[in-house]
Amino acid sequence: MTKTTVGRLQLGFSYGILGVLLLMVLFPFYWMTITSLKSEDQMRSLVSMFWPSPVVFENYDQLLRKTDFTSWFANSAIVAVSSTLLATAVGTIGAYALARLRFRGRAFMSSATLITYLVPPSILFIPLYAQIRTLGLSDSLAGLIAAYPSFTVPFVTWLLMGYFESIPVELEESAMIDGATRFGAFRRIILPLAAPGVLAAALYAFTQAWNEFLYALVFITDVRQRTLPVGLSSFITGDVYGWGYLMAGAVLTTVPVIVVYIYLQKYMVEGLTAGSVKG
Amino acid sequence: MATTVPSPSPLPSRERVGVGGDFPAKAALGARPHSIAVELRRMLGADWRLGHLFILPMAVLVLALVAYPFCYAIYLSLTQKYVGVPPVFVGFENYVRLASDGFFQRAVANSLVFTIGSVVFKLFLGMVMALVLTSGIRFRSLFTGILLIPWVAPTVVSALNFLWIYDGSLGVLNYLLVKVLRILPQGVGWLSEPGTAMASVIFVNIWRGFPFFGISFLAGMKAVPAELYEAAAVDGASVVQRFRHVTLPGIRNIVIIVILLSTIWTFNDFAIVYILTKGGPGGATQVLPVFAYEMAFGAQRLGEAIAVALYMLPPLAFLIIVLARYMRKGRAR
Repeated sequence: MTKTTVGRLQLGFSYGILGVLLLMVLFPFYWMTITSLKSEDQMRSLVSMFWPSPVVFENYDQLLRKTDFTSWFANSAIVAVSSTLLATAVGTIGAYALARLRFRGRAFMSSATLITYLVPPSILFIPLYAQIRTLGLSDSLAGLIAAYPSFTVPFVTWLLMGYFESIPVELEESAMIDGATRFGAFRRIILPLAAPGVLAAALYAFTQAWNEFLYALVFITDVRQRTLPVGLSSFITGDVYGWGYLMAGAVLTTVPVIVVYIYLQKYMVEGLTAGSVKG
Repeated sequence: MATTVPSPSPLPSRERVGVGGDFPAKAALGARPHSIAVELRRMLGADWRLGHLFILPMAVLVLALVAYPFCYAIYLSLTQKYVGVPPVFVGFENYVRLASDGFFQRAVANSLVFTIGSVVFKLFLGMVMALVLTSGIRFRSLFTGILLIPWVAPTVVSALNFLWIYDGSLGVLNYLLVKVLRILPQGVGWLSEPGTAMASVIFVNIWRGFPFFGISFLAGMKAVPAELYEAAAVDGASVVQRFRHVTLPGIRNIVIIVILLSTIWTFNDFAIVYILTKGGPGGATQVLPVFAYEMAFGAQRLGEAIAVALYMLPPLAFLIIVLARYMRKGRAR
């Protein structure tokens, strides 16, 4: 009897903590959304703080018509999609080679991949900037597409190495006994089996590229060539804060990532744990 | 049997390459053209063609995007380099000058406070999150998904959200504390006062990063065999004892990996500090990555800026090596 009471108390306590965590996590997003729907008058007068009254769409209207937001959105999409495709292609075959094939230099390359994944952009951004400038790629999306694989490729590779290792070797071996080549076995047997993992890695790389800030800030100076994170942060200029349309932009920047995330939640949670921090 | 294998071999096998002693010799007795291929396979590995082909693009990228810039960085840090002008070699001058530079010293101290403060609270909150999610609540996967949102949302968006929440005059935090809860007599300039700026910035980093700790610990806890808990319960262990003697040892490796990973990431976090304070007020939140950025693109002193970045390298390299060892060990199992 007392045992169930204790259990119930503990469970109630858990729900209480959970509530606090949920509130803490969700409030900034709630606040962002309602701010984007408030009129400027309402924001300045501090009335009905927690609900927009009236609900207005003028912030979105202003954002889409009077700022470069749509170009930034397109730039972000181009950069994120291109660098993701590149990283996924390179990372998938690289991971397969590191996980399965026997060749000299394999151990070295696995270590190099892992170390590259861990080397932070804050060490690389200045020399990369100098390099991009020398190549004449500063101020162009091509420079970002070229630079983003520096963090997406090692990540995709590391994640997929774990995935490939979890596929039984026997599947390939039996295919090869039946006359398939190594490459044939990879293409027809392993790749289809690994498809969910590859998709998860790709979408994860997409969100990383979509969210990237430092390289985009450093490499791009032309206003119209900016990506979303840099564009949004450029709305903070001095004391003139357009919070309404800034938050509208923040909402629209978050939506693609959240859509990807909802679709991928299961894989991402597994990928994060199986791929990056399997202990 | 080895001689029946045509080359390039479809049958991969580490044993075959490993024991190699007699098998290249046997092959050499057969057709001559084969011997070169066999010799190559012995030297470069059974799948060397496809292996090297598949690894080539990655190797090129790693060389061009990490190894080369890294070496170039070391060279540039030994020069006086301004944007658009060729570098002039000055030896260790940049490093020496930085070592006695008060702003640099302050940035080092701030970086340490920022990193340690953030990681400690992330560890705590992550553990709380994982324990709550394993305590038998309903809709666990739904709540897990929601709690992970700060980790996937764009950092810049989160930083901007908090910039708005912290706003001195119209921000909701002051509104809550002054008008609703009446805890404070008047609003606080959370990011503009030296006393609160660092804590406010750290909070945002914690907010964004703790779900990663939580989700990793959760995965680790799920992998601890249920029998261990049952056995502990039979022996009369309390909840706290079970946590200390069953859960913690079971997730020890994950805890170490996550702490190291997060330390590297936090130490190098640029976006949150840059957007919230740009290192201000008066350098109170100036951390090394932002300091390096300002030196490179504000003061245009690239050589010195890279020296700042490279000062971060020894501790980072140490963390990376330890972490890489743990992560590979985790993989091997």
